[in-house]
Amino acid sequence: MDQPATNPAIDKVNRGLKRRYRAERRFRLCGATAVFAALCFLFILFFSIVSSGYKAFQKTFIQIDVFFDPAEFTNENLATANFPALIKASMSSRFPEVTARRDKKDLYYLISPGASFQLMKLIKNNPALIGQKERIWVSANDDVDMLLKGNIDRTRPESERRINDKQLAWLDTLAGEGKIKKTFNMAFFTLGDSREPEQAGIWGATCGSFYTLLITLSLSFPIGVAAAVYLEEFAPKNRWTDIIEVNINNLAAVPSIVYGLLGLAVFINFFGMPRSTPVVGGLVLTLMTLPIIIIASRASLKSVPPSIREAALGIGASKMQMVAHHVLPLALPGMLTGTIIGMAHALGETAPLLMVGMVAFIVDIPQGFTDPATVLPVQIYLWSDSPERAFMEKTSAAIMVLLVFLFLMNAVAIFLRKRFEIKW
Amino acid sequence: MKKGILLASALIAGMFAGSSAQAAGRDYISIVGSSTVYPFSTVVAEQFGKTTNFRTPKIESTGTGGGFKLFCSGVGVQYPDITNASRAIKQSEYDSCQSNGVKDIVEIKIGYDGIVFANSKKSAPLKLTRKDIFLALAKNVPDPKGGDKLVPNPYKTWKDIDPALPNEKIEVLGPPPTSGTRDAFVELTMETGAKSFPFIHDMEKKDKNMFKATTQTVREDGVYIEAGENDNLIVQKLEANPHAVGIFGFSFLDQNADMIQGSLIENESPTFENIASGKYPVSRPLFFYVKKAHVDVIPGIKEYLAEFTSDKAWGNEGYLADKGMIPMDKTESEHFAEQAKDLKPLTMKQDK
Amino acid sequence: MESLFQTAESGILATAPKEKILSEVTSKTLHKARETVGDPFVENPRMTCREVNVYYGEKKAINNVNIDIARHEVIAMIGPSGCGKSTFLRCLNRMNDTIEGCRVTGDIRLDGMDIHDRNVDVVPLRARVGMVFQKPNPFPKSIFDNVAYGPKIHGLVQNKSELEEIVEASLKKAGLWEEAKDRLNQPGTGLSGGQQQRLCIARAIAVSPEVILMDEPCSALDPIATAKIEELIAELCEHYSIVIVTHSMQQAARVSQRTAYFHLGDLIEVGKTDRIFTNPRHQLTEDYITGRFG
Repeated sequence: MDQPATNPAIDKVNRGLKRRYRAERRFRLCGATAVFAALCFLFILFFSIVSSGYKAFQKTFIQIDVFFDPAEFTNENLATANFPALIKASMSSRFPEVTARRDKKDLYYLISPGASFQLMKLIKNNPALIGQKERIWVSANDDVDMLLKGNIDRTRPESERRINDKQLAWLDTLAGEGKIKKTFNMAFFTLGDSREPEQAGIWGATCGSFYTLLITLSLSFPIGVAAAVYLEEFAPKNRWTDIIEVNINNLAAVPSIVYGLLGLAVFINFFGMPRSTPVVGGLVLTLMTLPIIIIASRASLKSVPPSIREAALGIGASKMQMVAHHVLPLALPGMLTGTIIGMAHALGETAPLLMVGMVAFIVDIPQGFTDPATVLPVQIYLWSDSPERAFMEKTSAAIMVLLVFLFLMNAVAIFLRKRFEIKW
Repeated sequence: MKKGILLASALIAGMFAGSSAQAAGRDYISIVGSSTVYPFSTVVAEQFGKTTNFRTPKIESTGTGGGFKLFCSGVGVQYPDITNASRAIKQSEYDSCQSNGVKDIVEIKIGYDGIVFANSKKSAPLKLTRKDIFLALAKNVPDPKGGDKLVPNPYKTWKDIDPALPNEKIEVLGPPPTSGTRDAFVELTMETGAKSFPFIHDMEKKDKNMFKATTQTVREDGVYIEAGENDNLIVQKLEANPHAVGIFGFSFLDQNADMIQGSLIENESPTFENIASGKYPVSRPLFFYVKKAHVDVIPGIKEYLAEFTSDKAWGNEGYLADKGMIPMDKTESEHFAEQAKDLKPLTMKQDK
Repeated sequence: MESLFQTAESGILATAPKEKILSEVTSKTLHKARETVGDPFVENPRMTCREVNVYYGEKKAINNVNIDIARHEVIAMIGPSGCGKSTFLRCLNRMNDTIEGCRVTGDIRLDGMDIHDRNVDVVPLRARVGMVFQKPNPFPKSIFDNVAYGPKIHGLVQNKSELEEIVEASLKKAGLWEEAKDRLNQPGTGLSGGQQQRLCIARAIAVSPEVILMDEPCSALDPIATAKIEELIAELCEHYSIVIVTHSMQQAARVSQRTAYFHLGDLIEVGKTDRIFTNPRHQLTEDYITGRFG
C-alpha cells in the first residue's frame, strides 16, 4: 500500500485548528453578548424614562364660567384685582351646595393657583372682558392632574390620597359634563420653573442652557483650535511644550467640580462677575471643555497626511498658508466633532455650575447673559428633589428633552463630519 | 473663520458691558441657604414675583451652613440679601458676619418642620420612643447587661431593643452628616433619648465632649445608610424595601401618604396637627435672615418680607401649610411679622 | 516619563523621511569622504553645491558632496536605498528645514545666490525650485484650484483670466490638458495615479520655477503612466533644469543626460549618462550598475 507521505507539521497545524476556531468563536460570542447587554441597558433606560415621563406632555384643564365682576376692577391697575376671588366665585356658583369653610377650601383646591395669572393675562390683553361672563379652560391642580393620569389610586382609603372623597365626587361631576380635558402640555415648553408642578416648564432652563453654551462655544472653539494649531504646528518641541501637553491631557480628566471651584474663586470672587448667570457658567464650562477640544483638534491635525503639507511647502506656501489653506480645512471636521462632543458634555454638566450658583430656583426666563439662569440638567436635579409627586414625571420629561438635545447635537456632529470630510 | 473671531469678540465685549451694568445694581433679590426651607421660600418667591411688579427672587439651595458663609461674606450686590436656615444662627457665624461688615441682621422665624421616621405601608407602623432610636442608631450604647459603661452597639433587630417591637433587622435610611436634617434629628431624638440613661445625663455636666461623642455619633456598621440629600430617593427605597425605616422632612410624608407611613414617636403620630401643637416631639424651627443694609438698595425686599409674613402665606390656612410647612401659633407669628416689619436687628454678644 | 513624551517627539513632517534615513544611518559608520570620480562640474551651472554635509542629529547622512546642476538638463541621481540621494535632493529647496534635527552645512547656490543666506526667504526659493514627490499628492481640491494655488499665493496673476491662462498653459505643458479640460472643477484626487502625478507636475510648473526636483516620481505608477511621465520629463527639460531621484537605472538611462551615483552618503561618480552606464570609472558604480548589489 502506498500511503502518501504525511507532513508532520501539517498534522500539528490541523490538531491545533479546532482550538483556534473555538477561541475565535468564544471571543465573538463575548463581543456579541457585550453589545447585547449594552443595548438592553440602553433600552431599559429609555423605557423607564419614557414610560414615567410621557404623561408629562399632557396636562389636565378644567372649564369654568368666570364672571369678570366690574366691582373687582375698581383700581386703575387691573393686575391688582383679586383674581383668585373670581375663580372661587365661579367654582362656588357651579357647586352652590358647598358651604362649609373646609369644603370650600377643598373645592378651590381643584384649580391651580396659576389660573389666576391666566385670568390676569386675559384681562390685560382684553380689558373689554370686564363685566362679561366667559367660559375658560384653566389648568387643574397637580393632584387632580395626577389623579386623572392614574398616578393617584382612587381605590385607596381616603386618608392615603391627596384627593378626598368629596373632591372625587366634584371631579366626577365635572367630568360627566365634559368640563375636564387633557391636552398637550404647552406650558411645559413655554414657562420657567415653578413650585406648582402644573405651572412648571423647561423654557427658562432651555434658555439658560442656550446662553451658557453660546458663551462656551464662542470662547472654547476659537481658543481651543488656536491653541491646538499653535501646539501642533508652530510650537518648538521641547521640555516646555511637553509639560504643557501632559498638563492639557491631565486637565481633561480633572473632575468638573474643580472647575466650578476655580470659577468661583476667579470669576466671581476676583473679577466680581455676577453669580448664577450664564456668563460665569459659560466661562466655567469653557475651562472644562477646552482640554477636550484641544486634544480632539490636535488629534485631527495629526491625522492630516504629511504629503499634503509637503505639497504645500514644496510649492512655496509659507507655514501659515500651509496651515490655513490645507491643514485646517482637512482637520476641521474632526475639530468640529470634538467641539460638539465637548459641548454635549457641557450641556449635561451640573457639578461645576453648583459652585457658581446656577443651581437655583429661577422663575423668570433669562433675557441675556447676565440674568440669573439655570440649565437643563440642573432643572432635572431640582425637580427630582421636589416633594410633589407630579414633579416625578416632569423630571423624566425634562430628561427626555435633554436627551433629544444631545441626540441632535451628535447628529449635527455626524452630519458635519460627513459633509465636510474630504477623501483622498 | 474671520466671522467666528468677530462674533466671539463681539460676544466678549457684550459680556463685559453686561457685567459692568450688573455691578451697578441688581434688580432681583438673591436668596441662599437651607434645602429644608428651599421648598417654602421658593413658593413665596414665585407668588411674590407673579403678583408684584418686582422680578422673581433667585433662590439657591446651598445648605444652612453654606448659606451663612455666603451671606456673611460682606455687604454689596454680589452678596446674597437673605439666607434661609433650618436652625438658628451660631455665635461663630454671627461673629463672622460682624467682622465682614454685615452688622444688622434681622432674624425671622417662619414655622416648623417635623422630622419623621417612616416605613412602607406594606409593613406595620412602628411605635418608637426616642430612647429606642438612640439605642438603634448610636455607635456606642449602655451595656444591655447593666452597669454604667458603654459598649459597641450590639442590637441587630428592633426586638432586641424592645420586645414589643417587630422581630426585624434594623435598617435606617437617613441624611448624610452635611445635612441640616441630620443635625436636627441627632439633637432632637438621639440626644434626648440618651438622656434617659442617668449616667449619660450626668455626663453632660461632667464631660461635655464625651457627652457629645456618645449622643451624636451614629453607628457605622451598615445599619444606618446614608441615602444622600435626595429625600425622594429615600421614599422610593422604602417602597422597595418594606423593612427599612427612613428619616426625612414632613413634607415628603405628606406627599407620599399612599406609600409610606410615619412611625409613632412617644405615642404621637407625625400629623400636621400634632406637629403644629408640639405634641409630636421631633420638630425644629425654620428661619430666614435678612441683611438690613440691603433693604433699601435691592428693590422688593420689604415687599418680599411682607408676602412671606402675611397670613395667606404662613398662616394656618396659608399656602405654605399646603406645601407641608408647620405654621407657628398666632402670638408667635404676630411677633415675627412685627419684627419683619420693623426690621429689628438681632443682638448677640460679640466674642472678642 | 519617557513614554509620556513620545507623542511629542514624532514631529509633523518628520515621519516618513526621517525614519527611513535614521534606520539606515545607524547601521553604518561614516568614514572620510570619498573623492568623487568623473566630472561633477559644468559650465554656466544653474545650481552649485560645494562641500554639502547633512546631519540628522549626530549622524551624518550626506558626506561632503560637490556637484553642479546645468541649465536645461535632466540629471538623475541613482544609488542603493539609503545612499542619501533623496536627502540631498531635499537640500536643493531646503525641504530639509521642515525636519526636526536636520542640519545642512556647505554652500548651495542658485544662479549664484546662496540659498542658506540669512537674507534668502525660503518661500520664493521654493517657488523657483519646485518639487514633485514620490507619491502623487494633489490637494483635495478641484483640478483647477490645484494648479492655480501656487500662482495665487505668490501673487503672479492680476485677474481671473490670467489665472485661467496659466492653468491652461501649465496643464498643457504637463500633458494633462486634453484629459482634464472638461473636468477642471472636479477634485484632483479623483484622477488616476499617473494623471495625479502629472497634475502635481503642472502645479509645480505653474509658478514658473527654474529647477524641478523629482523624488522617485514614478515609483507608485504603472508602466504606461511611467512612460508618459518620462516623455513629459524629456519635453520639460527644454525649459527647466530637472533633478530626478530614481531607484531604476533603466529610467535614469532613458530620461537623463547626466547621472550621479550615490553610495552611503558619498557622491561616488558623476558623468554623462551614456558613459556611466557603459564605462563606469569607479568600482562601486560598476558593481551597482552591473547588479552586483543594490
